[in-house]
Amino acid sequence: MIFRAVEDTDLIRQATRGGVESYNLLVSRWEKRVYNYLLRITANREDALDLTQDVFLKAYQNLRKLDDATRFAPWLYRIAHNEAYSMFRKRRPETDVAELEPEATGNKITLGGSSVFPIELSLAVASALNRLSPDQREAVVLKIYQGFKFEEMAEILSCPVSTIKSRLYTALELLKIELAPVNARGMS
Amino acid sequence: MSCPPFDLRDYFFKELPNPRQREVEAHVKSCQVCREELDRLQLTEAALFSLRDEEIPQRIAFVSDKVFEPSPWRRGWAAFWGSSARLGFASAAMLSVALLVSPLVSQLVRPAPVGHVSGVPKASSVVAHVSDADIQTRIDNAVAKAIAEVDARQTRKVAQLVADLRNERTKMLVAAAEYDWSQKRANGLRISASAYQMPRIGAGEVK
Repeated sequence: MIFRAVEDTDLIRQATRGGVESYNLLVSRWEKRVYNYLLRITANREDALDLTQDVFLKAYQNLRKLDDATRFAPWLYRIAHNEAYSMFRKRRPETDVAELEPEATGNKITLGGSSVFPIELSLAVASALNRLSPDQREAVVLKIYQGFKFEEMAEILSCPVSTIKSRLYTALELLKIELAPVNARGMS
Repeated sequence: MSCPPFDLRDYFFKELPNPRQREVEAHVKSCQVCREELDRLQLTEAALFSLRDEEIPQRIAFVSDKVFEPSPWRRGWAAFWGSSARLGFASAAMLSVALLVSPLVSQLVRPAPVGHVSGVPKASSVVAHVSDADIQTRIDNAVAKAIAEVDARQTRKVAQLVADLRNERTKMLVAAAEYDWSQKRANGLRISASAYQMPRIGAGEVK
């Protein structure tokens, strides 16, 4: 665990009392995580960056409405989720949100080929994630990449824990099947 | 999938209460099927982690950044009129001065009465009468009006600020799009340049 001289809850309290610098510090702590969450659900860098900016501005404007400072993370991600789905709706208002797919703009997410993971594996993972439904993908992103608890995910996505678990476990089954051959070749 | 009544996936994500978590842990040690399932989950998770987090291309603008700041003229205006209390005090002081000065001025301007008229109060008693009751009411009214005006002005200023921010953001987006386009063009030119091969003139080559 990373030791922090000032906890988020203290920063939130100070920011609520008008401490702009405290809020700036909060932004610098959370911007990368929020950006990557939005990047994985929109699959577009420009959209993710614009949305991240909007999320932090909106969060600042509504910070006084946050009753429990310890719930900052799910509250912030709830704003991020709402902003992303609001953008999807504006772009394709006639489509059911559950059917919305990330934008195919040619500005795709960079795949993380590294010395630890071969590029083929990253490609296979990106492709497998793209085959999931948006709801399933978001559940995977929130659980695996962002490390939220089921209860927090339910708060972010505004649905029961049972629904969250169902989406995540179905997605995991699909991913296991999709990635089994790659895992057998590259990671065993 | 996993041995009932356990949900191995809940165990894998550490979502079970502590006693149950230990129970499943003990079970996994003795159950080959569950162990294999757990291995598969771990492999899948490890594969997913091959997609790394990206660095944010540019830092998010802070609320204290210039882009969110009003113009110097607005800042000065806000500093002067920003406080309702200050405005109320200034208004009340001006009103008091006006009330004290106006009877004196009117007395100087008006011609003096020719004869003594009984029943007409003296100027000093008028001032004294007004200062007791009416002045306070007038001050209260003036302060309330001034505060209402300041509130209305603040609302207008916030709306203007939001509109300015939107304009700035649009400009930034346009600039970013132009930059992106020029980058792509530069990359295209670079690729074309690298694909182009200079004709070689060797000794054995037919001219």
